[in-house]
Amino acid sequence: MKRPGLGLIIALLGTAAPLEASPAVQPGTREPAIEQDSEYGCLVCHAEKRRTFTMGVHSERGIHCDDCHGGDPSSVEIAAAHRGRFLGDPTKLQTIELCSSCHSDASRMRQYGLDSGQLAEFRTSRHGQLLLGRGDLNAPTCTDCHDAHLILPPDDARSNVHPTNIPATCAGCHEDEQLMGRYGLPTNQFHDYRTSAHGIAVFEAANFAAPTCTGCHGSHAALPPGVTEVVNVCDHCHVLIGRALHQGPHAASAVNGDFPGCLACHSNHGTERIEPAGIAAVCTNCHEAGSRAAAVGVEIQEETVQAAAELAAAEQAIAELRLSGRQVSNEVFRLESALTSYRQMAVAQHSFDLAMMEDLSRGVRTNTSLVRATAEARAEQQWEHKLLLVPVWFLAFSTVVLVWFKFRDLRHQGRA
Amino acid sequence: MIGRVWRAVTGWVSNVWSDIRASTDASLLGVARFVGLLYGPIDRSLRIDEALRKALKYRLAPHVGWRHVFGGITYLLFMILVVTGVLLSFYYRPSVEEAYPSVQHMASEVSFGWLIRDLHVWSANLIVLSVLAHMGRVFFTAAYKPPRETSWLIGLMLLFVVLAFGATGYLLPWDQWAYWTVTEVLDAMSATILLGGLATGAIMGDVIVSGATLSRFFALHVIVLPWIAFALLGYHFTLVRRRGVAPPAEVKETEDPWRPSAAWTVEELEKMDRGVPFFPHHLLRILVVVVLVIAVAITLAVLFPRPMADVASPYQLPGELVSTWVPVDVSLALIRYLGPWGFTAFTLLGLAMALLPLFDRSPERRLRHRPVAAVLGVTFFVGFAAAWIVGRQLRDVPPSERLPEVPSAVSDSVEPGVPLPDLGPTPLRPGDPDAERSRP
Repeated sequence: MKRPGLGLIIALLGTAAPLEASPAVQPGTREPAIEQDSEYGCLVCHAEKRRTFTMGVHSERGIHCDDCHGGDPSSVEIAAAHRGRFLGDPTKLQTIELCSSCHSDASRMRQYGLDSGQLAEFRTSRHGQLLLGRGDLNAPTCTDCHDAHLILPPDDARSNVHPTNIPATCAGCHEDEQLMGRYGLPTNQFHDYRTSAHGIAVFEAANFAAPTCTGCHGSHAALPPGVTEVVNVCDHCHVLIGRALHQGPHAASAVNGDFPGCLACHSNHGTERIEPAGIAAVCTNCHEAGSRAAAVGVEIQEETVQAAAELAAAEQAIAELRLSGRQVSNEVFRLESALTSYRQMAVAQHSFDLAMMEDLSRGVRTNTSLVRATAEARAEQQWEHKLLLVPVWFLAFSTVVLVWFKFRDLRHQGRA
Repeated sequence: MIGRVWRAVTGWVSNVWSDIRASTDASLLGVARFVGLLYGPIDRSLRIDEALRKALKYRLAPHVGWRHVFGGITYLLFMILVVTGVLLSFYYRPSVEEAYPSVQHMASEVSFGWLIRDLHVWSANLIVLSVLAHMGRVFFTAAYKPPRETSWLIGLMLLFVVLAFGATGYLLPWDQWAYWTVTEVLDAMSATILLGGLATGAIMGDVIVSGATLSRFFALHVIVLPWIAFALLGYHFTLVRRRGVAPPAEVKETEDPWRPSAAWTVEELEKMDRGVPFFPHHLLRILVVVVLVIAVAITLAVLFPRPMADVASPYQLPGELVSTWVPVDVSLALIRYLGPWGFTAFTLLGLAMALLPLFDRSPERRLRHRPVAAVLGVTFFVGFAAAWIVGRQLRDVPPSERLPEVPSAVSDSVEPGVPLPDLGPTPLRPGDPDAERSRP
């Protein structure tokens, strides 16, 4: 097994390590595993790959350069090292074959708790159709989204496929106008997403329950949802709204594909909220202005606008009560209850059940009117406080008048 | 035994009864004696009755009038502050957890708690104005000249006590305004050489305004400062009695016919038929002033109650910073517009004015002949008024660099989150005509 030149390799490794060691490397964590491995001749030349590879999970699991690239890692000469079953820089198609040789092996992936269906999924995706079906090399392969050497789990913030990084990873190609132009695709998705409710939740609130690109399109099976699929895609998370929609008059059209489900009123990447005052206007996108359906929209809008105004007034009343030094925990609880009803109204809107809308808006009003009652009682109390000024100034003025008379008296005496 | 007790009781009662019968005047004294019952026997040895009669016969110089009223108003407001302060302390609890809710409780649930609290707040403002008015009167009429320079010095100490009272009391409601105002003022203090970080640290008791600061300020406010105030007040009043009120500016102190020595006597004044008797003339004036000041204070308290911000939080700056005490208005205006050194410079100006009497010992008391004093005084009072007016307009949170630093450093570590990746400008925006055209 031992070959001449082994000492030289060790010596070279020993000098190579400090040369390229960066201050971020912590000795004693992952580095020794490779330093002690006498077969790592690759690193003599490809030292720059070492940093990224050793940070990844493949290195942790004992996978080495030659497991993917082939060659002879125990040699330090180029010709000898690149001998035999040597792959070098794999092509896009070779990459897919290479990765799936392990990752499609269910019995191998089981121990890591990993899914083994990526290749099957990839075959159904637009990316897969282009790359595998048409041999279009513009389509991404595994290593275009996952780094080739820096293999990290998706919950690692440095990973390309961490929720905060996925939009940027996709935008890497999908914002390229020239490239997307060839497929007739728009490039504004990332811009829209960033300002959407989903984007704000992910980037600003670090709420990773909100979807990134893959949440709606799928990751390996990436495809835009079809007309009839949209409702089901949004349903993943917006369960109650989906159920309400299916109870309402729009359910049949959505299932039949007569209209694009949620996208008929809301946009896809922007996901802007429809303000209460704008509800009826959205209905007239499809329904005629004077129609019965449009009238229902107007009614829903009125209920919602009124409830929103009630909530705003209650919030204002609580702020004033707090400013006046009152404990407002009861009122805040009432406001929260009203808010709950208000949010339920947002759900009920999608079923167009006017009776339920009225019930819920009554729930809002019941709670906000209690807050308002407290505020009114407080205002009345303040008015009563002002009444105190009447006796105070009466006493003050009478004292002044009496003293004035006494002074006049005294002056009179002084003169006499 | 029983007989001895009986004799003692009847003897005491007959003593009191003979006292009441012997008392020929139907004045307040008679009433006091009747109600006080024990008055008689004690009076026989201590001669309280005689002392009171003498005090009421006391005469003041004829020029003493309404403009001498501010010292008395200050004392009245001080007593209002003492009484309302004691009532507040029945409900107030000086801890970070309880201070704010206890103030909420007394402001909204305790009967007349709102009145007591707002009366305390407004009296604290009015006392500053009346102290300054009193000080201005003494300064511009040169009433501080010998032999009354000690009164001026003690009065000066009382001014600092009043300011210290307000500064320590300001933090006690423990709401956002109190917290961040105290933080800003202490910040400005620590930035100056004279006071320095060391003194500020000692006052704060911590690296930020915290529970330690609250405890300190409470102890100073209700234990330390009242004792100092009462001691100084006693001294101040004794000096006023011993030295008398200063004569008018035109009269030379040395030529004063009724003031050959530092103190003039009742008999002297009476003999020359000079002066106005304290009772009833001055007492009536005092009554009018007392009633009006109390009425004004109650009116302000009813019409303009002090609002409450949210509970103090070192992690969050308030949306706006509302000041509720005159010196805070003035110091915030100075700090914001002139910086910590402007604040110090104005304090030094005030100090120079305050210490001037130590060097200005010439008998000249007419303002026209005292240019330095006039300029100093006018600059200080006009500056104070201007800073007050400017300070009233201030509502924003300070642009200080240190303030947001502390909370963000703390909140960063407790709020997990990955920063938004910087991806540069987005190449294509919807509706951008150039970008639309470039698309194939």
